[in-house]
Amino acid sequence: MNEPKKSGLPEDNFQDPLEDYEPPEYADPVERALGEERVASMRITPYASVGPDTPIGDAIRQMADMHHACLLVSENDRLVGIFTDREIVDQVALEYDDVVERPIRDVMTTDPVYVHGEDTLAAAMCVMAVSGFRHVPVLSEDGRIDGIVSPQRVSEYLHGKTGVL
Amino acid sequence: MGLKENLASEPVRRLNLRPAVIVPPDATVRDGVIAMRNAHLGCVVIAGDDHKPIGMFTEGILRQLLAHDPAALDAPIGDRAAHKFPWVSLDDPIQTVLDAMQANNTRFICVVDADGRVCALTGQKGLMEYVAEHFPRQVMVQRVGSPYARQREGA
Repeated sequence: MNEPKKSGLPEDNFQDPLEDYEPPEYADPVERALGEERVASMRITPYASVGPDTPIGDAIRQMADMHHACLLVSENDRLVGIFTDREIVDQVALEYDDVVERPIRDVMTTDPVYVHGEDTLAAAMCVMAVSGFRHVPVLSEDGRIDGIVSPQRVSEYLHGKTGVL
Repeated sequence: MGLKENLASEPVRRLNLRPAVIVPPDATVRDGVIAMRNAHLGCVVIAGDDHKPIGMFTEGILRQLLAHDPAALDAPIGDRAAHKFPWVSLDDPIQTVLDAMQANNTRFICVVDADGRVCALTGQKGLMEYVAEHFPRQVMVQRVGSPYARQREGA
């Protein structure tokens, strides 16, 4: 008796879309964790955000008071930029008196690189390595801000996984 | 070997180290910021002629200065730098960089040679690049179409 065909397609025409897929191989548990755990599993809050019209001086004082190296700039619940210690060095410090009252939108980095909570930790770290951004916002699938991956949080996570100290 | 074992066994010199920018303690904070801008770095190391580090001035210190005392831009940088700062040797295991970042809540680590002289900088960027080497597929995905310059060390 003939066996029924599962797909209804002639067997000769069936092409398995995963036939060339090679599952990732991990050399140790840390690599596995980075390769499989999701960004959302790491500490991504709290974060601070301001509107794009916030004066630069106010933004810096807010960062200083909170000891944060980064502010997310949002408008209508959407990320429109990022303002960090890097912008302070590159665009603000030497011109401080001239720019202190200007809006942060004039010096923020627009269209920052971001990740989603469902991306892997390895992907987030590779974003940092390749793009050079140290602070990477985490957005939900509908574009709302969920948090931020920061250098301290990455080192905290890695340190917890390697646990040598 | 895997990432965990490599962190414990490979030396700091294996990282993609960045040249350190050294400024004398009597330079102004403004001079230090100009040096940071020119080198695309978030810190400068304060050292005398012997290149032995006596302080580190970071963008985090700059932020606090601008918020509370912007006139300090013209103060000697040696007076405003952190004099307790983390450093590692070229032959220390890479894990010590991670440990130092975690213990000091910093992302810049000064690297010294066998004589205790400043020879490089490392920290979060170097460590991320090292981690990324263990995930070449992910790096390939990021490189395709990335609009950002490789030398960027900001945001």
